Amino acid sequence: MAARPPFSSLRRQPAVVGLLAVLLLVLLSASGQKALQAVAAEPVPIRVLMPAPLADAVAGPVARFNASGSGVAVEVIRGPLDTETISDLAISSLLLGEAPFDLLLVDVSWLPKYVAAGWFLPLERWFGPEVLAAMEPGARLGNSLGNHLWRLPLTGDTGLLYWRTDLMPRPPRDTSELVAISRDLQRRGRVRWGYLWQGRQYEGLSCVMVEVLQGFGARWWDAATARTQLDSPQAVAAAAWLDGLLRDGVSPRAVANYAENDALQSFAAGEAAFLRNWPYAWREIEKGEGPVQGKVGVTAMVGAPGEQGGGTLGTWGLSLIKGSPHPEEAVAVIRWLTGPVVQRQLALEQGYAPTWSALYDDQDLQSGAPLLAVQRQALQHPQLRPPTPAYAQLSDLLARQVNGMLTGQGGAEQTMATAQRQSLQVLRSLAGPSGSGPAGP
Amino acid sequence: MRLLALLWSLGPLLWQLRTSLLRPEALVAPLPEGNPWTLANYQLVLSGDPPFWQYLANSTLVGLATTLLTLLLAVPCAYGLQTLRGPIRWGVGLALVAAAMFPTVLLFLALLEIARNFGLANNLLALSLPYAALSLPLAVLLLRAAFADLPGELEDAARLEGLGLGQRLRFVLLPLLGPALASTAILVFLASWNEYAIALTWISRSDLLTLPIAIARIGGGSVFTIPYGAFAAATVLGSLPLLLLVLLAQRSIVSGLTRGAVKG
Amino acid sequence: MKSRTVALVLMLPALLLLAAVFVYPLLRYGWLSLHASSVLTGLVPVPNGGANWGRLLDDARFWTDAGQTLRFALCSVALELVGGLALALLLHRPLRGRGPLRALTLLPWALPTTVMALGWRWILNDPHGPLNAAIRSLGGSSYGFLSTPATTWFFVVLADVWKTMPFVALLLLAGLQTIPLDLEEALRLEGASRLQILRRLTLPLLVPYISLAVLFRLAQALGVFDLIQVLTGGGPAGSTESLALYAYLNAMRFLDFGYASTVMLATFLLLLVSLGGGWLLLRRHGLARTTERAA
Repeated sequence: MAARPPFSSLRRQPAVVGLLAVLLLVLLSASGQKALQAVAAEPVPIRVLMPAPLADAVAGPVARFNASGSGVAVEVIRGPLDTETISDLAISSLLLGEAPFDLLLVDVSWLPKYVAAGWFLPLERWFGPEVLAAMEPGARLGNSLGNHLWRLPLTGDTGLLYWRTDLMPRPPRDTSELVAISRDLQRRGRVRWGYLWQGRQYEGLSCVMVEVLQGFGARWWDAATARTQLDSPQAVAAAAWLDGLLRDGVSPRAVANYAENDALQSFAAGEAAFLRNWPYAWREIEKGEGPVQGKVGVTAMVGAPGEQGGGTLGTWGLSLIKGSPHPEEAVAVIRWLTGPVVQRQLALEQGYAPTWSALYDDQDLQSGAPLLAVQRQALQHPQLRPPTPAYAQLSDLLARQVNGMLTGQGGAEQTMATAQRQSLQVLRSLAGPSGSGPAGP
Repeated sequence: MRLLALLWSLGPLLWQLRTSLLRPEALVAPLPEGNPWTLANYQLVLSGDPPFWQYLANSTLVGLATTLLTLLLAVPCAYGLQTLRGPIRWGVGLALVAAAMFPTVLLFLALLEIARNFGLANNLLALSLPYAALSLPLAVLLLRAAFADLPGELEDAARLEGLGLGQRLRFVLLPLLGPALASTAILVFLASWNEYAIALTWISRSDLLTLPIAIARIGGGSVFTIPYGAFAAATVLGSLPLLLLVLLAQRSIVSGLTRGAVKG
Repeated sequence: MKSRTVALVLMLPALLLLAAVFVYPLLRYGWLSLHASSVLTGLVPVPNGGANWGRLLDDARFWTDAGQTLRFALCSVALELVGGLALALLLHRPLRGRGPLRALTLLPWALPTTVMALGWRWILNDPHGPLNAAIRSLGGSSYGFLSTPATTWFFVVLADVWKTMPFVALLLLAGLQTIPLDLEEALRLEGASRLQILRRLTLPLLVPYISLAVLFRLAQALGVFDLIQVLTGGGPAGSTESLALYAYLNAMRFLDFGYASTVMLATFLLLLVSLGGGWLLLRRHGLARTTERAA
């Protein structure tokens, strides 16, 4: 039987008593702390949830704002970097019914879902149409839904193409050049891989797909019919191009498991000629002391020969949570955080694209933020992800199918046909109370 | 053989220890020039906002509260179950076994609604309610087996001396249950320390996160490059208390499961 | 009569809490699964006449995940059983330093799943993880442990086995401790080899413990969630997605609570069926062994 006779360890009783004592102490000290905090609170606290990099980026301005004696104390909550992870966090907070924040920094792809869930307050009471009119065309997109303004953009980021200035005299003009340059460099042994991007089964792959689809003249979402168009010949060609990158060895097989940071890590280590990433990657490369520091150029996303390329619109903006105890003060924080002063600093220090047109004409900023011209160019033809509350489902199933193709589960045509069929099924099933019925083939 | 078992069990952990002590560049490149070792990962984790020890404290608090609550509920329940006969005892026993095997993740959605409707979200002590429920089945089964092991004459004698139920429990039965209580407490504590799905949905404030969620969130990326070094440091820091606990309580854990297995 | 009432009163608080946490959710899922409750209904439940169940039957992803979950559970439990038995036999032997050895081999089970899930992500990293470094130093080229759909699930199984094998070993160790030493001694005196002793004495007597471990682990493995969420997120190409993860995604990412409830309830039903099947199988097997021994 058991190693010991049952009576030998009565000595353990004091241990249990000890545990209880510790528990009591912890409880007492916790409640004591709360009481202290309650006494200290004076200015109206406004809490903002942001992804960690943006939270760090605004830390300086926020500190100055809090010191300016406006009667509002902004408290930035650092969330995770990964878009899906921070969305999960925000959703679980909002579902719990007592969101621990007043403002949420919202990715452009979340907005329809959050609005449909009824978690935001419209902002047009405070911000008229002239506000968005002063912004770059791409930055105006994805803020309004159903005649309401739900979000004010803080950054105008789009997907960009990074290239190695030490390996080529100028960036490629289209996808064929990108592949040709890659293969040439690989053949000459100058670089191990050609093009790195995000092929993991997650929302980042959907962003890549938005760009490739655009680059081959296809569309994911048709706003007029509110349907997907993933099985068009152009869409199949786009998917086949991505697949070919892996099969021809221009991109490593491991791309099928790469998220942004994996791709960036490998590119920053000098392993590839091209990288698809967001603007932040530039500062990450430049501030490190890696082998490619100072040898990286940035350009707008390229399309197939004869097609207009475009980067996925990845703007972040502030939305007001319904149920915030201090909406007026929260709006004041929106106004200030999205204002030119903060945006200028974000551009100078972190490389985030501003949304205000005036900032792009600013001489000082142009010299201090070398990506500015490229970013403005990219904001003329940005690509929106499908603006529907069902985007998460659509993105999930497309990423799943495309990742399956990248890992050898099927050809481009079959992949896109399946994605299209499943997309229509989901859209039908969510279309109404009786619509979620058996949406069989 | 022993070596193989140790290598299998500890190898991955030791690799985490090594990772936690390396400079980030040394992780991805063939060792760069200079000293690759650093404590920076630990500094990063400990100076975070909130600092890492906060998560340890949160998990400890939840673990202790859960353990206490579970024992408070399980001891009377086990005693009651042990004195019962017939179909109720059989039915309750079966239900307890079923509940002990139930995969807890399937409960999270309904529990999330409960948390919202009763305002239990973001409250570490409230979190110990579902945790206690999750641990109760096993705890009751273990303690019932322990009650069954006690000689019945003892309680009869105490009853003849005029001791009430509470007194009998307090002065006669519980002292004899010491070892069983200890091992049950440790198992309950471990279970609540490691729980993920419910903590993930009940806690949204970062200063209240429990250890498993906090660590998963470090992995979710709070910085641009993959923070494997910092994460490994967090693993090591988070494992130390458990290493201590397991080393100290190994006997209790083994004997506790033995007892439960025999009678369960 | 009176003592029975007392017993019931003593049990009441615990049973109430258990009902709230285990029974209420199942009832609630049953009700929600008959409603549409998604972003398009403003998260308000609207009856939809069993349409969720129709969708479930037609949902290829659900059935793929069901197959994957079952494959994961069966492989994981089988490996744990073999490894756990070996570990238990080792820990049962009166070796020097048995206490610390038990504690250290127990450690993986005591650590939070998510902690080592991320650890494994690093160890299996392509190309920087130690495993790939080792492969390269032996002259091979890096392998995408977590990016190859055909094999990734196996490494998830491995991570699970690493974590839960000690638990199985503990249960079996408990069983080993009930086997009287003199029986073993008697067999040895008859000239039986260690393997024969294992087969003729140890294993038959361990059957109840093995059954317990299998049922317990099977139930937990069929509900696998945190390991997969952190290690692979269900990828690549959904090849490691489990039913529990699919249910979680439906609820928390797609905000489709009606369908999420349906998936959870269906998972629970599949679990019952699998466990029932496993139990029957074990019982027949156990009975066969007993008769074999009697013969």
